[in-house]
Amino acid sequence: MIETLQWSTLAICGLIAAARVPSAVRGENRSLFYIFALMTAAILLSIEAPYVAIDTALGGVNLANLLLRFIIFAAIYFVGIRVTRGFGAEHGYRLITGRIGLAVLLVVSLLMLGVFFLMDTAGSSAGLGAVSAKDHRHGVLVEYYGAAGRAYPSYVSLVLLPAMVRAAQSRLPVLVRLAAALLAVGGVAIALTLLFPLVPVEWSAGKFIVNYTAVLCFVLGLALIWVARVRSSRNNKPKRTSTET
Amino acid sequence: MTLPAKAFQRWLQGIAPDASTADVCRISGIKRTTLAQQLVRGKVSVSTVVSISRAYNINPVAALADFEPYRELAGPQQPPTRCELVSQISTADLLRAMLARPGMDPAGPPGGEGPVLSPAPHATSVRNWVDAIDDGELRHRVSAATGIAPQNYSAQLSANRLSAGLAVATAVAAGVGLTDGLVATGLVTEEEAGWLPGARQAALDSLSDGDLAVLAGDRLQALGKVLRRQEQDQAQTEKIWENLG
Repeated sequence: MIETLQWSTLAICGLIAAARVPSAVRGENRSLFYIFALMTAAILLSIEAPYVAIDTALGGVNLANLLLRFIIFAAIYFVGIRVTRGFGAEHGYRLITGRIGLAVLLVVSLLMLGVFFLMDTAGSSAGLGAVSAKDHRHGVLVEYYGAAGRAYPSYVSLVLLPAMVRAAQSRLPVLVRLAAALLAVGGVAIALTLLFPLVPVEWSAGKFIVNYTAVLCFVLGLALIWVARVRSSRNNKPKRTSTET
Repeated sequence: MTLPAKAFQRWLQGIAPDASTADVCRISGIKRTTLAQQLVRGKVSVSTVVSISRAYNINPVAALADFEPYRELAGPQQPPTRCELVSQISTADLLRAMLARPGMDPAGPPGGEGPVLSPAPHATSVRNWVDAIDDGELRHRVSAATGIAPQNYSAQLSANRLSAGLAVATAVAAGVGLTDGLVATGLVTEEEAGWLPGARQAALDSLSDGDLAVLAGDRLQALGKVLRRQEQDQAQTEKIWENLG
């Protein structure tokens, strides 16, 4: 079931990224294409088989996992910028691109790099499962490494959350409100990943579901805004919307 | 408020004993599927009765009075008050009338007959009607009498809608002619409701320059608010398209 979820998420995200290629070529909102492409790459790297293949090519010391973390950071950073800009969340925009946001990004990145190089990371395995099984010390370090990797996305999604909740209740077009609601759910899901260390081991399936819910909600939410725009420009072309009083 | 199908069938028997449903639909211009659906559900809409009665040259108000919830519509009604009459003049007509007044332009040509008023209802006729008869407690009384939540009532007014049942209940609560709300919602015409021809024009003419100027100002202000809100929503939507579309 988890395999299906992973591959179908990959397929959805890849299809959306591919669908954005023409508009990216035309120069419309290229960063949105990059977001979808980065997300596709991130999902690809979180699936065991492609991960092992790519990591082996990178030397088999799980550098691919580090790469995955930074791909996620980049994707969430651009999502944060685009969404706060689009929804007019000035405060959120400053919290992501301002001094605080960059400080959080820097600290988290340094911590992650530090912990990564403290470990003996030989032996490709997605989610560093094999590394964490080496001994107790490695088990703890992998836990910290994972926590650091989830910290930045959680920070950004918590920054986005208030604006999304507000937009979902606003008078904006229905599809946009639906998209904002999806982004809000995704944000909550990402924030929930912060609590993973508290979750008992038996619930690892739950972790997967939360992770992929988050990704799917973000991807679908962003795609929905695009759909709404295409639909509205199609509706508006024949006639200007009347000013109903 | 819809009407029970049984009562409707009985009523239809009374006015067109030999007509088939198909005949009735053809004469009254109602879609056959619409009527069939209403009959199957057992709920016939008020506008169906209005359309059919017009087709058979029956006053729609009298026709509605044949149904239990609208019994009170039978018999002569109080004439509309001056405020109600003026409320059913569109903002554009009010402004045109104002422009023709000497108080507006003392040097202008002496005001002759203004242009003919466009028939009721107009774009904000429902809210203007309720505002015209509201003593400050009206919404309260309507909500107490009918059980509708105040915010739902307001939402209907903002959308320039009011169900027939609520329109009558509002008139009852305000102590005005019971058919007046049906005119404001456009269900029946002024003539069908027993308003004298030219009553609105006479009410308009009886307003002093000062009263008309204040009234026109109020209407313009309300219009300005609605338009500005639409513009803000539009601008926000554009911004979302620009950043995320």
